Amino acid sequence: MIRKPQMLQRKEWLTFLFHRHNAHLASFHTFSNYRCIWIISIIILAVTSLSPLVMATFINQRLIQQAVDAELVLQTERVTSNAKRSMRFFLEERLNALRFIVNELPYYALIDNAHLGEILRNLKLGFGGFTDLSIIDADGSQVAYAGPFNLEGKNYKTQPWFTKSIESDNFISEVFTGYRDVPHIIIAVRSINALGRLFILRATLDTQRLMDTLLSYKTNVHTDIFLMNHAGVLQTPSSTYGKIFTPTHLGIPEFSTTTNVIPPENKSDHAFITGYSYIITEAVSTPFILLVNKEKSVVMGTWLNLGRTFNWIISISCLVMMIIITLVSTFMVNKLYLADKAKAETMMKMEQSQQLACIGQLSAGIAHEINNPLALINETAGYLKDLYHFADEHQNDQEIMEHLDDILEAVSRCGTITSQLLGFVRQFDVQTSNVDVEKLITGILNFHKKETEYKGIHITTDIAPDTPAIETDRGKLQQILLNLINNAFQAIEANGCLDITVSHLSPDHIFIEIKDTGCGIPEENLKRIHEPFFSTKKEKKGTGLGLSITYGLVKKLQGNIRVESSEGVGTIFTVTLPVKMKKEDKA
Amino acid sequence: MKQVDILIIDDEIKFADMLSRRLSLRGITSQACYDGLSGIQWVKENPGAAALILLDLKLPDMYGTQVLAHIKETDTVVPVFIITGHGTREDEKECLALGAAEFIHKPVSIEKITTLLTHVRGEVQ
Repeated sequence: MIRKPQMLQRKEWLTFLFHRHNAHLASFHTFSNYRCIWIISIIILAVTSLSPLVMATFINQRLIQQAVDAELVLQTERVTSNAKRSMRFFLEERLNALRFIVNELPYYALIDNAHLGEILRNLKLGFGGFTDLSIIDADGSQVAYAGPFNLEGKNYKTQPWFTKSIESDNFISEVFTGYRDVPHIIIAVRSINALGRLFILRATLDTQRLMDTLLSYKTNVHTDIFLMNHAGVLQTPSSTYGKIFTPTHLGIPEFSTTTNVIPPENKSDHAFITGYSYIITEAVSTPFILLVNKEKSVVMGTWLNLGRTFNWIISISCLVMMIIITLVSTFMVNKLYLADKAKAETMMKMEQSQQLACIGQLSAGIAHEINNPLALINETAGYLKDLYHFADEHQNDQEIMEHLDDILEAVSRCGTITSQLLGFVRQFDVQTSNVDVEKLITGILNFHKKETEYKGIHITTDIAPDTPAIETDRGKLQQILLNLINNAFQAIEANGCLDITVSHLSPDHIFIEIKDTGCGIPEENLKRIHEPFFSTKKEKKGTGLGLSITYGLVKKLQGNIRVESSEGVGTIFTVTLPVKMKKEDKA
Repeated sequence: MKQVDILIIDDEIKFADMLSRRLSLRGITSQACYDGLSGIQWVKENPGAAALILLDLKLPDMYGTQVLAHIKETDTVVPVFIITGHGTREDEKECLALGAAEFIHKPVSIEKITTLLTHVRGEVQ
């Protein structure tokens, strides 16, 4: 059948991956390993097209990461710095107020409880956050007190804060509970009374006010702002580390007068960034370290989401590109393979026909050389027979006659072989004329009429009415059909069927199908039936040249012959012939 | 002038002799020539003497077609049958064009030759 080579049929996809052809056909292929070509082509296309994309994505990712980190550091630094300034201002403001009081008022005025109460009230109004006030002399005994607690007459000589505050002009304590069991901070200023004795004005600040100020910098739940002392114990509650006075087990950050940021240790989105600052007032350093903890993922959520979305888009694009690359490579390599295969098949056919031509010429040469000695044997044996035949004495010697007849019959068989061999060479000349296929077939069948009747073979001929007269070599076509029909007759047992169908399915070709219900051809023999001298006919019936000559003749008429057979069922020979032969091949 | 039924021109001496003897056993007279030149010579010397000529193509001194051409120059009517083991399609075409009666491949049966003679005689009569 005529196949349209442009159309890539569905089943032909990926043939190069799964097709196994014989080594002889493979030797005609330009490329041997199509699987390798396919893989290399996919790799090259993928690398060249995807690598810039992947690199751009990677760089972009790094830039986003860096921008995110830088922004985070900046934000944390700003919050820490602002919070530190307000803490410092909070403490400094109150310390300065105390300093103003001790400088402004005489000692006797200060030790007056009523006056001190008045001052406390004014301080609460003016600044807020003060709980009580007291004057403590150098021995640690409380001289005057104003405030809600009943602490009159207490001696603080043994208290650590007292020792520290008597040693310096200004003092700010850590947060502690002390005698009253409420967390508070002590700020104290030292002064000298008229008698030249040191005394301390001590104020207690409630931590609530401090914490409120601190919490006003907490922009969201994922930011943790708290104070801790130099031993790492919490001075205000922390959302990360817990209640006040809980040890954080954090390393004490390196001392610095400015605000610092510790970048996150690991690269994960849940890493913390920490800003810290030692709180130092102008007059005295405090025991507080301000810490700001921010969770990276929450702060930079939008940025990280953008990055993630971008990654998704890139991944999907890469996947789509890989699919396209694979499809394109498969298509191209398959096209290449099919073209190469067609070329290899053509070359193999050419090689086969050349081999056939060579065999033909060789056979003809041998036939010529054998014919002369054969003629001599023929004549000599004939002469011997004649001698016996014409001389009366041996006329009735049947044995001698039989032997001589055997020789002559053998010579006759040899003659048949040599003349068929010569037919091999003969088939290369073509003389065209208009041939009516129907008449030709009828003629050949008439020739077999007796055999048909004798064997009881049922013959049907179905010749399409639109079958045109074809321009071809009558003698060769006759020989083709005669050979095929002869073959069928030899295969058919008694009461078999022979169907001859002629159809005109394509405008340029006719199809002649000769179908018999004979013994069939075993599969292993199907490939060899066109080889010269291949015969399975028993009892010396065949020379093994019939089908090989037929094959050559069909090729000479620019046609095609195809055989389908199943053993025991029958054989179908289909001959395709052009309606009009091409001129260039006539010569 | 020598009258014969068949003139055999063939370089295979034994073949020609055997054929000649077999023909004589059947009462058919024949003359054998073993090369082209003697064949032509015989035809020239005895024009119209042979009823038919059997001619081989591969002869030692010249090719059968040349012999055929010479014979036809001398005697246009005598039927010349080419009997050869070597004939190609071209030879066949050429011989038929030169006026050969038939192109026959070796080996050939004696019956075929006697039939040919009968036919020739029949046509002549």
